[in-house]
Amino acid sequence: MADPGTDVHAFAPDRFIEEVHSFEFWFQAVEGYLSETRYGRRPETPDVRLDDAERDRLVTVLCNYCVGETAALEGASGLVAIAPNRLTKIFLSTQVVDEGRHLEVLLHRLGDLGVASPEAEIEKRASRSLLAFKKRLLDLVAGKDWEAAIFAQNVILEALEFTVFQAHAETADPVTRDVLLGIVKDERRHIGFGENELGRRLKTSPTTRVRLGAIQRELDPLVLAACDETLAQLGTPRSERPEVGRSYLAAVERLGFA
Amino acid sequence: MSGEPERSDDAESGSGESAPRQRFVLEETGFDEVPKKYRKYYRKWKGPQDPLGPNEVLCPVCKVVIRSTRELRVGDRVYCMACFTRFSVERASDGGLEARIEY
Repeated sequence: MADPGTDVHAFAPDRFIEEVHSFEFWFQAVEGYLSETRYGRRPETPDVRLDDAERDRLVTVLCNYCVGETAALEGASGLVAIAPNRLTKIFLSTQVVDEGRHLEVLLHRLGDLGVASPEAEIEKRASRSLLAFKKRLLDLVAGKDWEAAIFAQNVILEALEFTVFQAHAETADPVTRDVLLGIVKDERRHIGFGENELGRRLKTSPTTRVRLGAIQRELDPLVLAACDETLAQLGTPRSERPEVGRSYLAAVERLGFA
Repeated sequence: MSGEPERSDDAESGSGESAPRQRFVLEETGFDEVPKKYRKYYRKWKGPQDPLGPNEVLCPVCKVVIRSTRELRVGDRVYCMACFTRFSVERASDGGLEARIEY
């Protein structure tokens, strides 16, 4: 017989949710992979010199990651106010902290690369598709549409970031890789939260499914275009880009949106 | 990578569902994304060439290997703490076990 005190798989579902949505859980989880880092970088990670063209491409990519993370930060903080219960508000407050950290480490990495004014550089290099996605996400949050906003933010945007950052980390310079892998570890919590929150609601509400399906059809082209632009900057061959897109689509397919 | 099988009265690995379940002693393998007390229940997945033990299933949401102290069987409930998801263990089309999300 499993011991419900120590065996995680013996937890009752309610106890599991209460445990993982807590600030206490978050604090002990991030301590495991962030405590030894500074701005997301491990002390032993070496700097590798990039040539001018590589550096320029990386700056463009990081600027667009900053756009995505700013959207996530503003979106998550707005979602706290419309979350349906206190446990969800607490979880979202941990996500707000995560998103703020992501933005900070990315801005710091841009500084490392010699970008004197990250704000101006982001303005100049931001993808139109990503900016359009950000505007639509924040409109959904401002409209207090919990289900649509959590779908756009924690399923679509987080799944995009999760797959693109993972793909980028495989070929990135060592410091950027550290930064990205730290972010990916946070994103696991965000995508899981969104998928589970919506999955529970979709089970009992066919009208929600229809409504979210329409939002997905509206946002998919923006997300996939942003994904394609980033992968092109990273030098990912065109033939390999659909594979990354498929990883993103798997998340929405699990919820029944094909 | 699945953990050390434990020598005990129910240590026989049964192929049938009615046979006693094999038990495993889990140790941390470097997975650092959950609080320390839970880390032994998870490990990093190294890709399709990374075989899963009889006490392991792959989280389809975040691709982390979920581990149990006992051999898993169809109908078992497991959780992925890295992405907060609850699963039931089901028979996969290839005959192995897979984790199916329970929302």
